[in-house]
Amino acid sequence: MVRRVLSLTSGRIAVAILAVVALLAVLGPLLAPQDPLATSDNTLAAVSGSHWLGTDYLGRDVLSRLLDGSRVSVLGALEVALTALAVGAVPGILSVYLGRVFEWVTLRLADTLVALPFLLFAVAVIALLGNGLTQAMLVTGVLVSPLFYRVSRAATLAVARSQYVEAALICGASVGWVVRRHVWAKVLPPIAVAFAQTIGTGFVIVSSLTFLGIGVQPPEPTWGGLLASDLGYLSHRPWAPLVPAVLIMITVWAGNLLADAIRDVSGEAGRALLKGRGARTGRPERTEPAPAGGA
Amino acid sequence: MPGRITPRRPGPHRRSGRPRATALGAALAIVLVPALSACGGDAASASGDATLKWTSTYFPAHWDPVVGGSGAQFRELSLVYASLTRTDESGKAVPDLAESWEYNDEGDRITFHLRPGLKFSDGEPVDGAAVKAAVERAQKQKNSALFGDLTSIESVDAKGLDATVNLNQVDYQIPQLLGQRVLQIASPKAAAAPEKLDQNPVGAGPFTVTQIVPGTKAVLKKNPEYWDADNIHIDNVELTSAPDASTVVSGLQTGVYNFADIAPSQADAAKKAGLDVFVQPGFNASNISLNVNKAPFDNDKVVDAVRHAVNRQEFVDKLTFGYGEATNQPFPKGYVAYDPESEDAYPYDPAKSKKLLAEAGYRSGDIKLDLVIPEEDPQAEIVQSQLAAVGITVDIKIDKNWSTPFFAKDLTFSLYGTTGRDSAAQTLTAHFGPDGPLNLSTPYEPEGFEAAIAKVRQTPLDAPEYPQVLREATRAGLDSKALVFTYSQPNLIAKSKSVSGLPKNPAHLDWTGVTIGGKGAAS
Repeated sequence: MVRRVLSLTSGRIAVAILAVVALLAVLGPLLAPQDPLATSDNTLAAVSGSHWLGTDYLGRDVLSRLLDGSRVSVLGALEVALTALAVGAVPGILSVYLGRVFEWVTLRLADTLVALPFLLFAVAVIALLGNGLTQAMLVTGVLVSPLFYRVSRAATLAVARSQYVEAALICGASVGWVVRRHVWAKVLPPIAVAFAQTIGTGFVIVSSLTFLGIGVQPPEPTWGGLLASDLGYLSHRPWAPLVPAVLIMITVWAGNLLADAIRDVSGEAGRALLKGRGARTGRPERTEPAPAGGA
Repeated sequence: MPGRITPRRPGPHRRSGRPRATALGAALAIVLVPALSACGGDAASASGDATLKWTSTYFPAHWDPVVGGSGAQFRELSLVYASLTRTDESGKAVPDLAESWEYNDEGDRITFHLRPGLKFSDGEPVDGAAVKAAVERAQKQKNSALFGDLTSIESVDAKGLDATVNLNQVDYQIPQLLGQRVLQIASPKAAAAPEKLDQNPVGAGPFTVTQIVPGTKAVLKKNPEYWDADNIHIDNVELTSAPDASTVVSGLQTGVYNFADIAPSQADAAKKAGLDVFVQPGFNASNISLNVNKAPFDNDKVVDAVRHAVNRQEFVDKLTFGYGEATNQPFPKGYVAYDPESEDAYPYDPAKSKKLLAEAGYRSGDIKLDLVIPEEDPQAEIVQSQLAAVGITVDIKIDKNWSTPFFAKDLTFSLYGTTGRDSAAQTLTAHFGPDGPLNLSTPYEPEGFEAAIAKVRQTPLDAPEYPQVLREATRAGLDSKALVFTYSQPNLIAKSKSVSGLPKNPAHLDWTGVTIGGKGAAS
């Protein structure tokens, strides 16, 4: 699938942007030219050779704070997506096989979680458990999980009715074996789409919370926090909020672009699309062999 | 005295209860309101009335003055409520509802003589009984935020237009105390239902409320029954809750507002926009609060190390854009209670600070402190950085329920900012008294403070020795190891040029004589 996604221009752009953001998360603090927490008397300085993005209201280097702050934003978004995946996808698949009681309970739970607003709930959790981003993101991940539940359940239902799956079960195959051997390959593409989409959603949520000053303890920099603090000094540095805002916007856009790319190359329609492109470019597209028994 | 965090926070992180989440709504308001309100301009309205369009950082959450307490929002409530006294430009108590007062010879009883013929806006008479009811409500109402301010008052006797206040000690501060800060007087009839009064204020002040949208907007009109109505030239007031700091100046420019308190970071923009920008005198003072009942501040050398580690000028430069001033006491320079002799106590000296820590047995990094504050505050980051420079590690912890542990004196290390009080003795006892709400180290008090403050109370305000006695009390209080004062945040105001200048009453906004668009209201 990776190769198929990279064969699309949009996929390559999305992966490149997300790779850069991931690199910033890992290496950002090392790349920061100055101590992101060190204050100075040079407050609200303009762009210069020593401060490529100027300084903030306490004289701290803005570029260093942006680089240092990328880690919190990326980890927060990943935390949301991974939590949602773990909490949503597994029950979604199992709800097809573990009987009507489990199915009914998980469906009602998913309905309930969908009704709760992410931000308000995250703020409430922080008020209850203390001002930390980890717990807020975990809870947000749980609230996003119905997306994965529904996507994985729908894909599993489609496969579960297949003759080859029923044949395998009749032959004595365990549910676990069936899921690993037959279901997972079918469920993976829609889950990948949802995951990429959730990365973008996670970024928006992390940025919103940190913009409101929730979840991080000052003076720890975050993209949302930098955006908020820059807004207070618009008359001094009117361009300053653009930098964190554009970073957030591009990252969210890249997540959505990747989701689109995965969707485009998934399933029969995707393969047909790529075949068409291969015909036009003269390059043959490789396709995966059809699952045993046909779909 | 209820707690009030720093009156006006600089920068983007400043307001309690109205954080950046309002930015979007404010921006929409800035864009839409002018378009929808027929572009009313910044002076008088289309009908020719003089309308004050005031957007305030302290839009009252409570309109019952007993519940609101003596914090900064008293200025907004003073639109509706009058008091026994008010203050003049020197900060001295002058007649308001009371036209005169006198103490008995012992100084433990004071009689206020009310102006005749005054009525509350519901038609109830303003008399001694109304004063008695107001004091008793402030002392007894369950949700009163004022009872701590009235501990000197034993009882009140009412007789016609006289209200005699019986004291449990000699206290010549009472006229200062019973002003707009502490005793705004509501109609006793309306106050019989405090919950209703809280959203439907009924007073005898210069304006009456015609509409309140809780937390957002209040519309008021001139009260023709106000005792000084002839000198009120404003017909209507539209009081709104201030939007995000970055959008207030735009609102002033477009005529959505014509009067606003602004963050220092916005002062330049306001000036460039052609607005009048000025600093209203005040008693604002920010401080670092230490709990000497807890380690490491139970060690005097550590406390002294913190005192010497604080560079006050950095707070002024970075947070007030030059509009504030450094201070090491809870009064501004020039005020009668300001003690010049204490001015150079504990100067900024990081080398000495490090030496004191070493003498106390602490190496660099040994002391790790949690600085607990209610919301993001650049002050905390400055404290963190200054203490880091002498080897004290500070972690900033934001606790939305900060007020509970702070006023229970459970915290070790925090920040506070006061807007001051009209009675200097009240300011001193609140900070340095054994039960002072702003003394994080209760029951600790500096040696000699109790006697010094008693002497202040026992000295008439017009006695020649009063300034000296007061300064000695300030000096005694400043020995407190529980507070390190840092800087004074300015009361920075931006207004349309159509609004005339205000009297320079310290910490007050007095609308007497103020005109809008050069028009005086028909009176």
